[in-house]
Amino acid sequence: MVQFLRFATIRAALAFFTLCLVSFIVFSLMELVPGDCAERYLAFKNSQGAQISIADIEAERARLGLDRPYLQRWTSWIWNAFQGEFGDSCILRLNINQLLGQKVWLSIGICLGSLFLAYLIAIPVGIIAATSRNPFLNNGLRIVSYLGLALPNFLLALMIMLFSTVFFGDSLTGLFSPEYRDAPWDWPKIKDFLSHVWLPVFILGWSATAFAIQTVRALMSDEISKLYVTAAAARGVSGRRLLMRYPARHALSPIINSLGFDLNRIFNELPIVALILTLTEAGSLLIEALARSNDQQLAGAIIFFLTGSIIAINFITDIALAIVDPRIRRSILG
Amino acid sequence: MSRLIDVENLTLQFDTDEGRITAVDDVSFSLEAGEVMGLVGESGSGKSVTAKSLMKLNPRNAIYGPETKITLHLDDGPVDVMSLQNDREMKVVRGGAISLIFQEPMASFAPAISIGDQMVEQLMIHTDFSKAQSKELSIEMLDRVGISDPSTRFGQYAFELSGGMRQRAMIAMALSTKPKLLIADEPTTALDVTIQAQVIDLMKDLVAEFGMGIVFITHDLGVIAQTADKVAVMYLGKLVEQGTVRDVIRNPAHPYTRGLIAALPTLDDIDAPLTPIPGDIPSPLERPPGCVYNTRCQEVVGARCAAEVPAFSEVQPGHTAACHIFDPTEGTA
Repeated sequence: MVQFLRFATIRAALAFFTLCLVSFIVFSLMELVPGDCAERYLAFKNSQGAQISIADIEAERARLGLDRPYLQRWTSWIWNAFQGEFGDSCILRLNINQLLGQKVWLSIGICLGSLFLAYLIAIPVGIIAATSRNPFLNNGLRIVSYLGLALPNFLLALMIMLFSTVFFGDSLTGLFSPEYRDAPWDWPKIKDFLSHVWLPVFILGWSATAFAIQTVRALMSDEISKLYVTAAAARGVSGRRLLMRYPARHALSPIINSLGFDLNRIFNELPIVALILTLTEAGSLLIEALARSNDQQLAGAIIFFLTGSIIAINFITDIALAIVDPRIRRSILG
Repeated sequence: MSRLIDVENLTLQFDTDEGRITAVDDVSFSLEAGEVMGLVGESGSGKSVTAKSLMKLNPRNAIYGPETKITLHLDDGPVDVMSLQNDREMKVVRGGAISLIFQEPMASFAPAISIGDQMVEQLMIHTDFSKAQSKELSIEMLDRVGISDPSTRFGQYAFELSGGMRQRAMIAMALSTKPKLLIADEPTTALDVTIQAQVIDLMKDLVAEFGMGIVFITHDLGVIAQTADKVAVMYLGKLVEQGTVRDVIRNPAHPYTRGLIAALPTLDDIDAPLTPIPGDIPSPLERPPGCVYNTRCQEVVGARCAAEVPAFSEVQPGHTAACHIFDPTEGTA
């Protein structure tokens, strides 16, 4: 147990280090963009008709602390970030925490929901596909799965919106009905939220499921042909017990391994789907911050959250692997 | 001695994309309780497939010939192996009355399940023992096969044991249900020579103690000479020679057996060149007509070798070979 805690602590420290490293890279990339926050803000004011001088820019720079050295600014940023404080948005002049609000958690929730849905379907279907000899079932699954891989998410989203608008008069966009948007969380709002959120979860889960089925099927086929399965059958183990306890149990470790990778892919796809469905989630805000307003503070905060959740999932899968796979467990515990 | 198993006209084909492959062709043999039979042949001769047929363990594309009859004589009556249909019925021959040991002990233990769990699982399937009793018996069996500190080993995984240790654990597991027949599929091939000898001695001791029959599959005639009572030589899915170990190794009758023995390296004269059998074993897709060995045989006696399947002839009492040399019906020799 002590050794396990030590392993977990080391992994957590590594995850923390990765997070710092990523934040540094993000921070540096933002820094490479010409102009800083003070210039951009005042340029923005200028475009609104205000008269701006160089002295104004310098004063603003000093006010924002942008005259301090680069590393010092990064350390103070990351220090605040770990305390959950991201400062103000450069352009919008709003506290980032307020601006983001639940959006980050909604995004992470949608992604995890899609991942969960994907594997909830993929694990049983993949196992059946790997063991079944029924050509109709196998080919059917193959077609569905290739459709999932080949059909871009945004196209699927557009098709569903079109279909739903034509037939139900509801475009299914957004995450909340207008009356609940700013309401505090309560049971009706949760119900309203669930009635909207299934669509992005479904769309993101669709291709993720297709991908996951292929993964599970390949891993299962691999394990089933191994000698230990024949050996177990030779000992009289049979039926579902043989399937679940031998190949399925042993395909679990590589499946856990692929979780982090899949979450990453879902995260990358989220902003486009969010844009189409006009979801008020962090991904679309990130695109906004990066592409339009060049809002370093806001983009940094969002990327920090997203990488943080990916690193967290990887940390969890590391721990889960150590629990599930005795080979890894023993290599840690000696 | 009482009869343990009768295999009659075992024919087995596989349906593959390239066509129907004959893996085993009309093989018959029998084994008494307490007897060790060596099944010898090159890779691809159908030894393993034959062995697995005894527990109907071949893949789903396997088709057994209609004449095939495998009868296992148990205390409570004979069992017709071919008539066993579902998994529940097949338990009798899978891990119950018959146990199978594979060549690679590492690969035949599930990597993420402890050795003890796999042993207990088998006992729970085949006996009425409780979990605690199964564990006790498993540890006892591990102790019997010479594994030190068996209660620790019980909780360990295959990757934590050495090669020889794993094969001992495999033997312990195979014997824990007290099978009547043990099939050992090249059980020592993956082991060091010194460990090989230990494992073979162990198996001989256990056979004597448990009074079971063994089908010992190997391509190593040296191992056969040490272990077996009788030998069956296989080539391309067909038995070509059967007899006692002494007879077959001292006076090999079939040209193939003679070739196998001549191909053995000898330590007496290390400069002596090796004399391999020329050519390769043909693909099962292109089984030669007539005697399956005629494409490589040094002693072809005429056109009938490539035309007519030779029948078994008795070379001496209890020693038979399927070769036209011994079949005087036509005077072509």
